[in-house]
Amino acid sequence: MSAKELPRGEVQGEKPQRPKHSKPAKPTRDWRSPLHAYFEAHRTGLRDSLWRMARQPIGSFLTCLVMGIALALPMGVSLLLSNVERLGGSWQRAAQISVFLDLNIQEEQGKQLQEQITALPDVVNVRWIGRDEALQELQQQAGLGEALKELPENPLPSVISVTPREIDKGRLDMLRSQLAELPGVQQVQLDMQWVERLTAILKLGERFVFGLTVILIVALLLVIGNTIRLAIENRRTEIEVIKLVGGTDGYVRRPFLYMGALYGVGAGVAAWGLLAFGLDWLNEAVIDLAGLYGSDFALAGVSFDEGMQLLIGAILLGYIGAWLAVARHLRELAPR
Amino acid sequence: MILFDRVSKRYPNGHIGLHELSFRAERGEILFITGHSGAGKSTLMRLILAMERPTSGKLALAGQDISRISNAQIPFLRRQIGVVFQNHQLLFDRTVFDNVALPLQILGLSKVDIAKRVTAALERVSLKDKIDDYPADLSTGQQQRVGIARAVVHRPALLLADEPTGNLDPRLASEIMGVFEDINSLGTTVLIASHDHALIARLRHRMLTLQRGRLIGDEESPT
Repeated sequence: MSAKELPRGEVQGEKPQRPKHSKPAKPTRDWRSPLHAYFEAHRTGLRDSLWRMARQPIGSFLTCLVMGIALALPMGVSLLLSNVERLGGSWQRAAQISVFLDLNIQEEQGKQLQEQITALPDVVNVRWIGRDEALQELQQQAGLGEALKELPENPLPSVISVTPREIDKGRLDMLRSQLAELPGVQQVQLDMQWVERLTAILKLGERFVFGLTVILIVALLLVIGNTIRLAIENRRTEIEVIKLVGGTDGYVRRPFLYMGALYGVGAGVAAWGLLAFGLDWLNEAVIDLAGLYGSDFALAGVSFDEGMQLLIGAILLGYIGAWLAVARHLRELAPR
Repeated sequence: MILFDRVSKRYPNGHIGLHELSFRAERGEILFITGHSGAGKSTLMRLILAMERPTSGKLALAGQDISRISNAQIPFLRRQIGVVFQNHQLLFDRTVFDNVALPLQILGLSKVDIAKRVTAALERVSLKDKIDDYPADLSTGQQQRVGIARAVVHRPALLLADEPTGNLDPRLASEIMGVFEDINSLGTTVLIASHDHALIARLRHRMLTLQRGRLIGDEESPT
């Protein structure tokens, strides 16, 4: 039997009651209404997320702290590495090239050579060490003062100490060859093994920080994903009801995205605080130690720019983690 | 208002939810769907709400074919429908006001409009004085009335109620049915799935009887 053949309504000629129908609810017919609804939905989503986090202060705090620690670890290692780099002097200085001149070169000729070297594109800085200065340095460093005084004449040549622009094995080799070809140069010394070691250490440090960052970002996404998953589970009935009364996926998703971003804010602040406090705490010991070596070295803390990068990164990670979790679980949230 | 034209629903496990069901309900009508458990009452409701798709046939609501509606359109379809559940489905961490306001918040109405409409809806179910209470502080009958207020607050064209009196004693059941009749008198089409024959007989409205997914009776005013 089709609907048209049904034995009632129009078929039977009995018109059903048709009282004046009440007007369905609609937002005010005004161009601002969709915009108002949009911002109102966001405001409600944000307020709802804040309220839910505030209702579980310990849980929310611990989640932010775990995320903050996960963020602070790679950032902290990276900051320590850059401080160690500073402590050892720049990498360029560690790769200094010593250009030994012929013994018969006069100081004036040497200075001309120095200017020539300074003009080379791969050179950042040069330092002239005259024969007398070199002898003095040797006497001080090796404690051979008396023995060296016995020598009939100064056996040391003048040296030009060259700081290269980059630590690149190929370019350093090229620079060394260029320097060796200059007139009046007897020998060019570059500790390539040390340069290679430094490069390798630098690479290792960078890889370590990168690996740690990737692992901890994945851990962070899992933490936020799990937190959002639990929040979704706790609100399953609410989500089902929202969907049944006409809530879109976007409406359902919104408070969870805000929650993820808010956890990100908390984590970013926690990480910033942990790093600032941790470096400050470590700094006291570092200053004492450096003082014993006659150095005024101190650890550099977290700059405002770095702190803001950390905070924005944390918010993005929280948002992305929440998005992934909600996208994964939204399909399961069909009303039952 | 509602048109079922040879609508069938077969589940992947072979179970037949509905078999070539055809009927129509007019705007402003009040209609009971009855039948034993598994007769297809809930399947019918779920198809109207687009929680499931028919396997074959045509299903239309207010002239709109909803058998092939896109997923993106479903929330907008549901905004034309109010739903009352047997277990109320209230949110116990929200006040009565917040529960009833939910459909209006989704529609994006202003706070003033929401307050007006929620108050009016609660007045209609005689619960205005409970506006700031939490559902847990209300009796079962009051909770069901809050559920009804939430279902009608956005003035839907169609109100669906799935066993709305299932957990209520006869006195409360009559009271709730009175609320449905009151809402219907404002022009809302009301479709109630129920197996409470005594109550249906007393109210004397059109009744469709389902058995194993088939329509076996369509009575105007059962006695």
